[in-house]
Amino acid sequence: MRLRWLLVAAAAFALALFAGSRMRRLHEPRFPHLAELKTGPFSFQDAALAVAGFRAPAADLAWIQLLQYAAGGVPELPDRPGHPYEHLAGLSLRVARLDPSLHRAVLFASGILAWFHGIERPDEAAELLNEGMLRSPEQPLYALYLAALAYKKQGDTDRMIALLESSFDLPETPSTMKAILANLRQSRGEYRQALSLWKRIQENDRDASEHARARIKIAELKILLAQSGPTPKKY
Amino acid sequence: MQTISPVFAYTFKELVRRKAWLSSAVFGLVLLGGALIVSALGQDERARLMLDLGLAAIEAISLIGVVFLTVSLILQEVESRVIFLILSHPVRRADYLLGRYLGTLAAVTLSMAGMALLHAALLSLYGWWEPGRYLAALVCMAGKTAVMGALSLLLSLALTSEAAAMAFALFFWVLGHFSSEMRFLADRSGSAFLKTTLIAFSHAAPDFAHFNYRDFWHAPAPAAGWLAWAVVYALAYTTACLALAVQLFEQKEF
Repeated sequence: MRLRWLLVAAAAFALALFAGSRMRRLHEPRFPHLAELKTGPFSFQDAALAVAGFRAPAADLAWIQLLQYAAGGVPELPDRPGHPYEHLAGLSLRVARLDPSLHRAVLFASGILAWFHGIERPDEAAELLNEGMLRSPEQPLYALYLAALAYKKQGDTDRMIALLESSFDLPETPSTMKAILANLRQSRGEYRQALSLWKRIQENDRDASEHARARIKIAELKILLAQSGPTPKKY
Repeated sequence: MQTISPVFAYTFKELVRRKAWLSSAVFGLVLLGGALIVSALGQDERARLMLDLGLAAIEAISLIGVVFLTVSLILQEVESRVIFLILSHPVRRADYLLGRYLGTLAAVTLSMAGMALLHAALLSLYGWWEPGRYLAALVCMAGKTAVMGALSLLLSLALTSEAAAMAFALFFWVLGHFSSEMRFLADRSGSAFLKTTLIAFSHAAPDFAHFNYRDFWHAPAPAAGWLAWAVVYALAYTTACLALAVQLFEQKEF
């Protein structure tokens, strides 16, 4: 009689062990191990949230910090003079290692590193995309950006732009990348195409962060088109 | 068995009327509001941030609520000697304990459901609507809450100290999310003793890492049948903890 509840506990625990092994066999979360998390000024925040079972929220907070850094810097990670976006790749890897399913962090940072005017660090971007592809092979944009980077290295800008534009309307494409693409078109004197891209940005609710810029650019491009005549020049 | 329902009913009413329960629900709503504000900083990922931070807030509040309520559930009645009055009636100790536990779980689940309704309404305002997956995440969160409640109750009876029980419950919470890491460390370990110890710990602690659907929501979906096994796991682990708690409670001399 006294052992009855102990026996119930033992039976239930055995069932839990069995169900646990079935559960693990059916799904193994693909999070990188804690030892792989990026070290830096935010290590404590990341480790504390990750061990408490809040990995996705930890990645979300890291994503906000990445955006803050990209928008003007964070006090914990100052850039050396002449080294803009020095910590961008590191901050993006931090997000990817906390939660590899936050693909936008890798796409956003690699877009800036590879194509942002005055940055031009395609090797860092390729490294970032390779790690992203390793951790989240189901994301097709990683391979597409890597292919576009290869075209860039070959100097085949037409094919690079065409490839990047093929992903323009995909929900995963970061708004910043769309803006970069429209600016690339403008820098090549392709004002009509650039205008069309900015209009698509303005019409898309997902790109709300770029709407203010889109309005300015559309007005600017309309003036440029009026000045340059009906056929845009191609350099 | 028929004595469980009156104990359940009075526990549920008692807890819902408590200020601690109400303030935890209000605090949860404040956290949901916070998630709404913070998500505005996430640019293109606003919906994801609202979802993750909202679910995390609901889970954190439910965890604190269930641990805080269950560790004091029996100990306070022993201290105030109310338990003598109750057990002098024809109430089996097992029924009393189960009724108390189920009443607490129902009160916590009610606050969880309230917060989840508000959260889902906020998400739908922003055009997000995936009720099936949202429900699956809630089921997993409720499972974790049930396991933590039973574990806290067991710890409170074994340690007879609210503070120690709370500290150990939080330790088990972290250990539960560390189960994959423990298996990884065991694989890497060269020492047979360390390997065995780590594997034993990883099995003894509740395996929260594998049914934390809220955390791997955005990754490719788990295979069919995974949720069913996760529910069986939570129920079996909860039953094991409750059975041990009943065993301890029946041996206690009042």
